[in-house]
Amino acid sequence: MSASAQTGQAQPGQQRVGWYIYGITTKDVEINSGAPAVGDPPGKVEVVRHGDVAALVSQVDVDRPLGRPDDLLAHERLLDGVAAKAPVLPIRFGAVVASREAVLDELLTPHGDEFARALREIEGRFEYLVRAKYVERAVVGEVLSENPTVAQLRERLAGQPEEATRDERIQLGQMIAQAVEAKRTEDTQKLIEAVESVVVANAVRPPSNEFDTANIAFLVERERQSDFENALQRVAADWDGRVTLRLLGPVAPYDFVQPPAPPQ
Amino acid sequence: MTVQTSGGGGGAIDRPSSSSLADVVDTILDKGLVIDAYVRVSLIGIELLTIDARIVIASVDTYLRFAEAANRLDLAQSGNSQGLPDLLHGGQQQGNQQQGVEQGKGQAAIEGVTDKLNELTDQVQQLAQPGRQRSGEGE
Repeated sequence: MSASAQTGQAQPGQQRVGWYIYGITTKDVEINSGAPAVGDPPGKVEVVRHGDVAALVSQVDVDRPLGRPDDLLAHERLLDGVAAKAPVLPIRFGAVVASREAVLDELLTPHGDEFARALREIEGRFEYLVRAKYVERAVVGEVLSENPTVAQLRERLAGQPEEATRDERIQLGQMIAQAVEAKRTEDTQKLIEAVESVVVANAVRPPSNEFDTANIAFLVERERQSDFENALQRVAADWDGRVTLRLLGPVAPYDFVQPPAPPQ
Repeated sequence: MTVQTSGGGGGAIDRPSSSSLADVVDTILDKGLVIDAYVRVSLIGIELLTIDARIVIASVDTYLRFAEAANRLDLAQSGNSQGLPDLLHGGQQQGNQQQGVEQGKGQAAIEGVTDKLNELTDQVQQLAQPGRQRSGEGE
């Protein structure tokens, strides 16, 4: 426990350490010694318990930069690994407190009851991330065949020098973008409806690419996981050649945790 | 490592066994519990960058990419196998400079993304410096 006395205060010739917090889980969780951890070299993940809840933490050297790709991956992999076995509330990347005591005094003690309640709510439920993406040729082809005006403009511009038709090409692209946006709204809704009866909740994330169809997090009960996958499979079959589907999970419930109310 | 789930005919779902860095950036920088105000400090820069990335979807560059996609589709659907090479060849002869510009643009866009990622990493690094943490006695 010698490290617990350190407070991150600089002392000559001494490494300054902080305690990095990954998430909150139940008291009975144990972490293997080789578990992913932030830092270079990676720290050792420890479980700090308080009542029914526990924080997953590891020591970090606060004088070294945090946020390398390996750090980001370690944060998510630890949480996803725990989430497969026990309820866990992910904490946003980058949370560091000054001491092991601070994990208890500033985090677990003031928020323990809320964490316990949230953990009970998330128990037996898993997050899945579904990313659907349009097949470029298919969706642009749809837009052209459904919008004569767009098709005519494309026809008129074909073979014309690019620099002389820049404004028209922007106009053409904008019309296609609007049509794709309308399809995105409609198809996001379709996807949600296709799995609605087998999920607890959904959270729509914003598109990150112009050919994104939908980017949705779903919360699914343990017993409904195969129903969920089957429902998605039907969507994939319906959209074969038009949309590609990517399913990630189960992962920790990143999209379904609420910030706790500030302590009184 | 990718596992293909095969099911009721057609339309395989891609099921990666673990998150890519892009998935992780989308997820853990933007989601999850924010436990206290001082924790947020290290994340402000990231949030701004995330918003930037979303705005890109409605930009002139996006429109031009859609227009190009429409143009490509036209060539591909014409069914004329000589059309594409002919056009490419002609384009090279007639507008070398213009093509150079277009290529340059693509390059710049890719570099822009790399810059943004580097910038993001830098910001995470800067913002995660100990000086930003609430240490009370450290300031």
